Amino acid sequence: MFRIIKKSLKIGVVTGQYQKGEPAAVPVVPEVKKKAGLFKRSFAIREVDTGSCNACEMEMNALMNPVYDAEQFGIHIAASPRHADALIVTGPVTVNMERALKDAHKQTPDPKLVIALGDCAIHCGMFKGCYAVTGPVERHIPVDVRIPGCPPRPADILEALSELRNGRP
Amino acid sequence: MPEARLCDDVLKVAFPAIRQNAPVCAKSSHFVVPKDLLPAITHYLHTQPNFRGRLTLLWACDHRPVRDTYGLYYLFTLEGSHHWVMLSTELIGNDRLFPSITPHIHAAHWYEREIRDMFGLIPQGHPDLRRLVRHEHWPKGMHPLRKDFPWDRVLGRQQGEHHFRHIEGEGVFIVPVGPIHAGIIESGHFRFSVAGEPIMQLELRHFWKHRGVEKLFEQQTLIDALPLAERVSGDTTVGHGLAYCQAVETLLHLEVPRRATYLRTLFLELERLSNHLGDIGAMCNDTAYALAHAHCGRMKERIMQLNDRLTGSRFLRGAIRVGGVTRDIDNGRLTEIVEELNRIQLDFSEVGAIIFANASLTDRLETTGILHERTAWDHAVMGVVGRASGMDCDLRRDRPFAAYDALPVNVALYRYGDVRARLRVRGDEIHESIRLIRELRGKIPDGPIANEPSRSPDPGDWTLSAVEGWRGEILYMVMAGEGGRIHRCKVRDPSFVNWPAIQWAVLGNIIPDFPLINKSFNLSYAGNDL
Repeated sequence: MFRIIKKSLKIGVVTGQYQKGEPAAVPVVPEVKKKAGLFKRSFAIREVDTGSCNACEMEMNALMNPVYDAEQFGIHIAASPRHADALIVTGPVTVNMERALKDAHKQTPDPKLVIALGDCAIHCGMFKGCYAVTGPVERHIPVDVRIPGCPPRPADILEALSELRNGRP
Repeated sequence: MPEARLCDDVLKVAFPAIRQNAPVCAKSSHFVVPKDLLPAITHYLHTQPNFRGRLTLLWACDHRPVRDTYGLYYLFTLEGSHHWVMLSTELIGNDRLFPSITPHIHAAHWYEREIRDMFGLIPQGHPDLRRLVRHEHWPKGMHPLRKDFPWDRVLGRQQGEHHFRHIEGEGVFIVPVGPIHAGIIESGHFRFSVAGEPIMQLELRHFWKHRGVEKLFEQQTLIDALPLAERVSGDTTVGHGLAYCQAVETLLHLEVPRRATYLRTLFLELERLSNHLGDIGAMCNDTAYALAHAHCGRMKERIMQLNDRLTGSRFLRGAIRVGGVTRDIDNGRLTEIVEELNRIQLDFSEVGAIIFANASLTDRLETTGILHERTAWDHAVMGVVGRASGMDCDLRRDRPFAAYDALPVNVALYRYGDVRARLRVRGDEIHESIRLIRELRGKIPDGPIANEPSRSPDPGDWTLSAVEGWRGEILYMVMAGEGGRIHRCKVRDPSFVNWPAIQWAVLGNIIPDFPLINKSFNLSYAGNDL
């Protein structure tokens, strides 16, 4: 027990020890901001992977580590789309995942936001046109926010979510 | 190597009908085998005590338009000498049938089903001919890797149903999970049959994320396809990038400067460090031990930020190029890296002492998800999972690449095959990686960091390349086509081999332990589905 406390005291607080992210290049549309305002200080996200290379997942996971600690801003990951305020979709939509994505979107209660995370989700990246890929996320479900990058840094994701929620990360 | 030549002779005496070809890469032999003889010779290679061949890779290739044949290639790694024995056979003209070797070599199970889906070649006698990559809604007759299948074809949708294996009996019920999971994980489907608490059967259904990577490779030139290789599995960016580059360099007869090989080794070890640290944390988190998760997440983040400072990418993307590396890391920088890693090692040792002193954690980890040595051997399991189940294989030691010929690796090996053993392997490898980077700093020579390719590849040339990524053996088979393009690129992430083994590791465990077992394997869905 003593060892655990000693270690924690030695490390101290690491939250915020990262380089601040770039502000989003494309500002969020006012209607989307209005919709996001409904969620106030609690924002539940469901992550759906429709064919990413898993780098975007790694960065979403990093968002929850003690350094970025997105939880402190009321952002948490919901275990089911039915508990979610927003869907974060990564990867180009593959032929095999198309139906699952639409189902998850249908199961998310309204009002909801859809965030396309990473270049693949926005414009299919280097998988564009391939037989196994049916197109970007917006071809299947309406997308509200786009966070570009391959993959976007966690700091950039936080910045984008903050912009979405009017400076409240 | 006299020993290898002896093996070749033994094979030729046992099977006079086979013909020896020139080897395609170092430490290997290549035989052309009549297709009817395949089951017998593979069985012989697999079971003979002086061979004990492990099926390492099995792939097919459509040779059209050059010649109207399909080639089938079987690669075995011999135990002990780690020599590669490759068998190849050809299906000429309209011949679409080949004998299945799955009945006696279990490791071939998914490979043969994959070949059936991607090429439409039928493994006769295969015990399970359900579709693997093509889900039930794909129209009939779609075989994407055939040369007459256009890469940008729009697939239609048909009605269809996938039949899962099922167990019948009183009180047996089925728990389907996925493809979308509760955490931030990739997509895959798991179907458990349980009676009461213990799992009686687990069936995997993957390939939800099939993006057509191998077909996309064929649309690119050898030099330009590197970014695609880096995106096969995002967490193994360096592993896949390096394996691809090595294959291309062999085809272009391009020598890599010595300094660049050391820097490649550095990048590969940094990738191993960050992923192992994250995995240990995630495994602890799945036993609800949040403290260890927080500490490991913090250390992993330090490595990711170090990567970012070194190369401008947290995943080291774009750090490697064909012919070398893209940017030099001067010796002052290397000293900084070593100092930072020394601090992380001290930090990790303290956290490790806390983790392993925790009795309730040990209780969850020990005897959970045991993968027996025999099962591991039958499935040709490798990498971290293999080394936790007594499979003594590590390409860094067995077939040195990059700078590992000058940096001997101590391979972590455990025999229990439970979750704790997989945790211990990762812990040991973290210390070993840091030691390697320390040693590397002392040995790295000065010099250029990249050579420019000067020749174009000869069409039809092909080669194999193997890299020990943090998960295990990554293999690339690259065949050059006309005009510097790729004719065929077979990508094999270790996940493809290790996934089926998980179905055996979970038997008798309870479903709440499945996330823990799955995390201890930590296999890539993207690298598996391609």
